[in-house]
Amino acid sequence: MSVLTKHPAAPPAASEVPLRPPRRRRNGAAPKKKQRAGYLFLLPWFVGMAFTVIPFFASLYLAFTDYNLFNEPTWVGLANFQDMLQDERLWQSLKVTFIYTFVSVPISLAAALVVALMLNRGLRGLAVYRSVYYLPSLLGGSVAVVMLWRYIFGNDGIVNGFLGMFGIDGPAWVTDPEFSLSTLIVLNIWTFGSPMVIFLAGLRQVPAMYYEAAAIDGASKWRQFRSITVPLISPIIFFNLIMQLIGSFQTFTQGYVMSGGTGGPADSTLFYNLYLYQKGFTEFEMGYASAMAWVLLMIIAVFTAINFIASKFWVFYDS
Amino acid sequence: MMTAEFQPRRRAILAAGLGVAGLALAGCAGTGNKAAAGGGPVELNLVWWGDANRAKVTEAALRVFESKNPGITVKTEYQDSGPYADKLATRFAGGNPPDVLNMANRSLLEYAQRGALADLKSHPDVLKLDSVPDVVLSRGTVEGKLYGIATGVTTIGMVVNKTITDQAGVSIPDDKSWTWQDFARFSEQVTKKTGGKVYGTGYDVSTETGPILLARQRGEDFYTKDNKLGVSEETMRDWFQFSVDLRAAGGYPPAGFFEQIGGSAAQSYLAKGTIASQIIPINNYKAFNEAAGGNVVLLRMPGETESKRRGYSADPSMLWSMAAKSKHPKEAAKLLDFLTNDVDGASLTLTQRGVPINPNVAAAITPKLSGDDKKFVDFMADIQKDELPPAYVYPKGASVVADTLKQVATEVEFGRMTPADAARQFMDKSNAAINK
Repeated sequence: MSVLTKHPAAPPAASEVPLRPPRRRRNGAAPKKKQRAGYLFLLPWFVGMAFTVIPFFASLYLAFTDYNLFNEPTWVGLANFQDMLQDERLWQSLKVTFIYTFVSVPISLAAALVVALMLNRGLRGLAVYRSVYYLPSLLGGSVAVVMLWRYIFGNDGIVNGFLGMFGIDGPAWVTDPEFSLSTLIVLNIWTFGSPMVIFLAGLRQVPAMYYEAAAIDGASKWRQFRSITVPLISPIIFFNLIMQLIGSFQTFTQGYVMSGGTGGPADSTLFYNLYLYQKGFTEFEMGYASAMAWVLLMIIAVFTAINFIASKFWVFYDS
Repeated sequence: MMTAEFQPRRRAILAAGLGVAGLALAGCAGTGNKAAAGGGPVELNLVWWGDANRAKVTEAALRVFESKNPGITVKTEYQDSGPYADKLATRFAGGNPPDVLNMANRSLLEYAQRGALADLKSHPDVLKLDSVPDVVLSRGTVEGKLYGIATGVTTIGMVVNKTITDQAGVSIPDDKSWTWQDFARFSEQVTKKTGGKVYGTGYDVSTETGPILLARQRGEDFYTKDNKLGVSEETMRDWFQFSVDLRAAGGYPPAGFFEQIGGSAAQSYLAKGTIASQIIPINNYKAFNEAAGGNVVLLRMPGETESKRRGYSADPSMLWSMAAKSKHPKEAAKLLDFLTNDVDGASLTLTQRGVPINPNVAAAITPKLSGDDKKFVDFMADIQKDELPPAYVYPKGASVVADTLKQVATEVEFGRMTPADAARQFMDKSNAAINK
């Protein structure tokens, strides 16, 4: 199941590309029994599904209702969606989310690819480096690290201390509405570890013979990168792009913790999901919040669809 | 395309269905068992916000309640006020509200007018409120029903770190008569005399208690008797303008100075020593004095004698409410009676949540108070010697008003909005939220 074999489902499968080739399976013995065992192992997932599927459809219904969490929902048709058009804070939250996504995703993917390329050159202690770079992406969404980030970028934090050594009076990174979002973007870029690990796995699947042949033909390193590496890992770039986009449209924790739940200063970190949460749980407009959730789903679906269509022109599945 | 590999789909869905059914059955069994347990010992759930200090005395008081009421146990949970509000909403929404709970002034009507809270007058045999002044009860009453009882009364005040002002050689004006201009001059002097190391004041522009007081001084009710927004746009503009001018003159820190990490006294800028004064709810006076070195003086707010009337009012620090869905209303009422009227319990909690609203209880605990808490109680008694205009319940939408104030105050802080624009936007958004 390597990237190089023709496979319609290459992009999602790429994430699970094992670093070593899988062992050959023994065929035959009791397929039914095996199937049953398979379902048994899947059981926790099915149970978990109930917690997703039921709220999923409930929220679809609630999106067309006025529901304040305490009383029974009442049907209002499309009113929630009409209200959204006039809701200034909603547009602000979209602006914040789009800026955040379209700045941080390309940069973090580029960073992930560069680091993966460096690590792929047969470094000693690769596992250590891999863990070091991967760690932030496990931590980045956690409350503790966002708190830490607040201190690093705080008025008396390391960043302004460093700038101070050069006589620069650094801005209030966290509390100034002009800078607060960029601080969060930097945090997001810092968590490039998970796409990096996937890139690394993909790079290791590119056969060395291609590079050898290219080198013999006198191709430069840059040329090799452009004509061999990029096309062969393009399904993985594609996969990472989709996952990162979806992930960053759904950002919540960073904005919530950094602003103490307000989306401040002055709504500059009011992520779409944070506003949705405020609507649902501090303003008690769960119907409206549900409608917002469905609009977000649509936005993500549209962007994913655009990506899939565009992918025909740049993603290369080697045959 | 992405799911091309999944073949046994139909079976998967079937299995998922079975899983759900099984879960539903398990759920039924669970609740069935619990419901059957009625009649025996009762466990009440009490939730509140605060810090570890408050937790200690609250738990101690609840043990007294339990020993006086065999068969009732009280299980508690607490958080900081921000997360508390979020969690409370989800618990009500999930149909699993606590029996007795802390309610913020600004949230009372949002819950009460949605039918989430019980009328506390429906247990007169257990919950006795005869000794509580009507003016206090009115702050939890909506359309004749009592949805919240004040945990105690408090108000806001200005605290000044006298160690800093003494070192700077700045004398603190007489708080019985100081004007807003006196306060501004005082703050500018502190900054100047400390060479900019300490700012004269760092009061919070974005909490509604400040403009509420200013509005009252000017003869306006921030929130009116008929649950509307009564503050004028002009007052809001002046409130913002005052902070802009004070910042320009140096008495107030530059934009971005406050990073708002936590709200406790220990984390305050007064305790850090980077500001010399700030506005606090004065039931926290003791905590602030201890955190800032023990030489903090408590002053009246400026402007109390310069305008039409007093801005002060004795306000509920917060309220106790009972969920309409509580399964044990009788026992919950008993607990509320204990929290309001029991001297033994109050001897432990003292003035943690304000001056007790039952005057007999307040009198009984006064000898037990430390110096700082005594000052707080005397302060409350002092301001009530003057004729204070009435104050009213916060309307539904008051939490949106609070959020809006935060937003526009930040815009003003960073010069992205003029005080006049901020005031206009505040009025528009607040009115929209309240009248919805």
